[in-house]
Amino acid sequence: MTAAAPRTVRSLLLLAPLLVFLLAFFVWPLFSMMSQSVSDTAVLRLLPRSAEVLAGWDRTSPPTLPMQQALMEDLRAVDDDQALGDMVRRLNSARSGFRTLMGKTTSALGDTDNPPADLVSIDKRWGKPEFWLAIADALSPLTDRNLLAALDLGRNAAGEIEHLPADQSVNSVILVRTFWIAALVTFFCAAIGYPYAIIAASLSGWKRDLMLAAVLLPLWTSLLVRTAAWFILLQEQGLINDLLRWLHLIDAPLPLIFNRTGVIIAMTHVLLPFMVLPIYSVLITIPKNLMPAAASLGAPPLRAFLRVLLPLSLRGVASGGLLVFISAIGYYITPALIGGPGDQMISSIIAFYATGSANWGMAGALGVVLLVATLLLYSVYARLSADEPGRR
Amino acid sequence: MDPRVKPEDDESEVCVRRRASFRQPAEVMEYPLAEFIRFDRITKFYGSLCVVENLDLGIGKGEFVSLLGPSGSGKTTLLMMLAGFEQPTSGAILLDGAAINAVPTHKRDMGVVFQSYALFPHMTVGENVAFPLQMRGLGKAEIAGRVKRALDMVQLSALSERRPSQLSGGQQQRVALARALVFEPRVVLMDEPLGALDKQLREQMQLDIRDLHRRLGLTIVFVTHDQSEALTMSDRVAVFNKGRIEQIGTPRQVYDEPATRFVAEFIGETNLVEGVVEAVEGAEATVRLSSGARIVSAVSAPVASGQPVYLSIRPERVDLSETRGEARNVLETEVADFVYQGDHLRVQLQNDAHPLIAKLGRRSREFPPGTKVYAAFSAGDCRVIAP
Amino acid sequence: MPMKLAKTAFATLTILFLVAPLIAILPLAFTSSVILTYPVPSWSMRWFHELFFADAWRRAIVNSLIVGTGTTVLATALGTAASLGLRNRVVLFRGAVRTLFLLPMVVPAVVLGVGMQVLLARFGLTNSYMGVIIAHTVVAVPFVVVSVTGALAGIDERVELAAESLGAAPATVFRRVTLPLAMPGVLSGSVLAFATSLDEVVLTLFVAGPNQRTLARQMFSSIRENISPAIAAAAFLFIAATLLIGLAVVLSRSVLAKRR
Repeated sequence: MTAAAPRTVRSLLLLAPLLVFLLAFFVWPLFSMMSQSVSDTAVLRLLPRSAEVLAGWDRTSPPTLPMQQALMEDLRAVDDDQALGDMVRRLNSARSGFRTLMGKTTSALGDTDNPPADLVSIDKRWGKPEFWLAIADALSPLTDRNLLAALDLGRNAAGEIEHLPADQSVNSVILVRTFWIAALVTFFCAAIGYPYAIIAASLSGWKRDLMLAAVLLPLWTSLLVRTAAWFILLQEQGLINDLLRWLHLIDAPLPLIFNRTGVIIAMTHVLLPFMVLPIYSVLITIPKNLMPAAASLGAPPLRAFLRVLLPLSLRGVASGGLLVFISAIGYYITPALIGGPGDQMISSIIAFYATGSANWGMAGALGVVLLVATLLLYSVYARLSADEPGRR
Repeated sequence: MDPRVKPEDDESEVCVRRRASFRQPAEVMEYPLAEFIRFDRITKFYGSLCVVENLDLGIGKGEFVSLLGPSGSGKTTLLMMLAGFEQPTSGAILLDGAAINAVPTHKRDMGVVFQSYALFPHMTVGENVAFPLQMRGLGKAEIAGRVKRALDMVQLSALSERRPSQLSGGQQQRVALARALVFEPRVVLMDEPLGALDKQLREQMQLDIRDLHRRLGLTIVFVTHDQSEALTMSDRVAVFNKGRIEQIGTPRQVYDEPATRFVAEFIGETNLVEGVVEAVEGAEATVRLSSGARIVSAVSAPVASGQPVYLSIRPERVDLSETRGEARNVLETEVADFVYQGDHLRVQLQNDAHPLIAKLGRRSREFPPGTKVYAAFSAGDCRVIAP
Repeated sequence: MPMKLAKTAFATLTILFLVAPLIAILPLAFTSSVILTYPVPSWSMRWFHELFFADAWRRAIVNSLIVGTGTTVLATALGTAASLGLRNRVVLFRGAVRTLFLLPMVVPAVVLGVGMQVLLARFGLTNSYMGVIIAHTVVAVPFVVVSVTGALAGIDERVELAAESLGAAPATVFRRVTLPLAMPGVLSGSVLAFATSLDEVVLTLFVAGPNQRTLARQMFSSIRENISPAIAAAAFLFIAATLLIGLAVVLSRSVLAKRR
């Protein structure tokens, strides 16, 4: 159809700007983050010549003179102290002792009066293969260290994957905590949101409008404002504690902020609309006479709910649950402001590694974990919402 | 003493008088059915709107009663109250002598067939029909047997594994029927169940339901706005208007002997002619029309001389002739229009005082417009109705 | 009936839970004391004063307006064009492209922020308004796409075909028929884009330099470091701004509807 071609061209031209924009500023950053998680150029950057020479080494025979000369040349050429520090740190984490070894070596190389002939003369350790092995391994541009570390795994001396010792295993703790908090929030959202949606769907007129407006209003309000509101309310001298004391329900103020309780309350409040709206939209498609029909057939209210309403609304509950869970695991602001140090979720750790300690490798690796989890859950969610039962 | 009113049921004179208002004058109905359902002074308000007003109705065991009326007349509301979906504002509903106002729906043991069938979309046909039996805790084998029998009864056994969305409207309706009958309820309530079906299917279902009623001896309360449907299926028809029952009687009674203008106009087609009562003699009254003509007519309810009334004359009861003839009631009139309707001829008549419509059988001769004719009918073909 | 009472109680409590926090903090914007507690000793506008005249806050408001406007313009332009392009069924991988357009809503902002910071550095866009606008646009554009595709889906294609048959060139059809009919969607999309930009904290943490601190970013720091009723005043401003814009959209939609 020749008439369709210019239309298609036009459509493509309309799509192109956003497509290019997102590829550049959305997909590329994600890729760059993912590549950072596996990239490891701290050593390669500074030792190009050694890399070439070491490529021919068999990893068992003692270090040859060309190897030592290449390394000396590279080290002399280094002018960036920061990069050198990165390299040393990297090598040291692979094999301890590098810090002192490198320090000794670089100062000896800097001595122009007495240039050493080879490295072994500076320090005997250069004669042994172990340190050279560490350099050779560190020269590879790719590494799985970060990804493994993100899951609290590491490679031992033999190269096998094993669990890191307990004092280094913070990431899995945080991952578990993140999923646990998200699960709790999802549970509370369902426990409050499902009945709320059922009641709203069964009403009509101003009452239903009121219930829906109450759900939509927080959605329209900024997340920051809502979190700030909870920050103010949950204080020890805050409104909630004051109210509870005024009602004589408690004597001393409850600790509601900077702990798990506060985080759960605030996140539940923020994410509740995401649970209510999908469930509600499924409920209103259910014919209104089904529950009366079930009653007329002898079903008491609870059995009618379990046999009729629940199966028909399950899709909405699953959608809402997934939406809440996906949002919750990625949350940064609310746990950061309302939570205590023991409540930080994975996003805080990613931010810490990125902006705090400039460990882009770890930031990227944890980001990959979070991204993969999010995308997997989202694909389930998309499947669920697209899977409409066929209606005549 | 009305044979319908058993001595022990006769609580007070007021009740008798009230029941008497439903009594038909001339014939004594063969009406031995024990009363099973009773609506006693039922009133229902929605906010300030009165939808059912001080209503009394008794339904016998095994009887098929239609609640007939236009939308908003209260008939569906009454059914909903019987099922337990709504509560009357005042008054009592009695089942087999016991008040059931406080009994929740799921304990009332009534089968309900809804207007839009209300089949469970997430269950198969078989599961839908099995549902009430599961609620009653029957064993799996017994449930399977009963479901099969119920589906056989509506000729749908082959479709028991299908989902409702895969069935046609008529099939869904039959599943709804099977589901409402499978647990052998005491009463079956139907809320305009045939409204969504096409004409032929509807008429077939009407006969099928009537057949089921006769075979199983069910007590059925049937809501409809279609008067021909009510007349086809019912033992008795209760005609509703604005929350009250205007008349209750057998199909023949509500058709031939309408008690009020509303009933006369709602059921079938009728000619309503204004007049004033001149004299009353037993079951007949002489009414003088504005044209001066005098008509002798049967009376449904007592009237007094001088009372302005309506005369209801069914069009098919009017004979036309060019000669005066011997009939008791004759009106001089002229043919205004003459239409062939396939199974009858429709004649529009006009004289100075009032228009008339006559329906003639297809064997009658044709009367071209302009012909002067005499419209004749007997006293029994005509009814006096108080306005 | 106890059931009805339980239902009403539950619904009421939940409504309170949803709405009360927002309403509870608003009066605190007018408190005269330096601490954020009730009872309010006396009423005063000092915190609004601070908001508009204290350097940090004032700059933050200005920055938010600049970034917000830029984001709205960019997101609306890109998103509307893309939605129009998506109408064509012949486009290859239409479903995949549409999913891509919606993904920024799903991906956690921290993950995006980490990648963006590096990328913008490479382009030399750190510490610039452009960088922040780009970042905000990425997360705002899905709202525009959803809104505009929704509005476009409601347009009967035959109206456009009729215009073509009456002699209108494609550009004219778009200008005189499609765009006016899609305008409600475009408007709500742009409002959502602005609201998203206003509210964006996490990305801003990564890409904004000290001179591009938006109101949200300022509020975030303030809560963490230096809590004062200025926060409540800022919150009040947020809510007022969102409501005003929402009202403006509703009004403009009804005006558009009347003209039709």
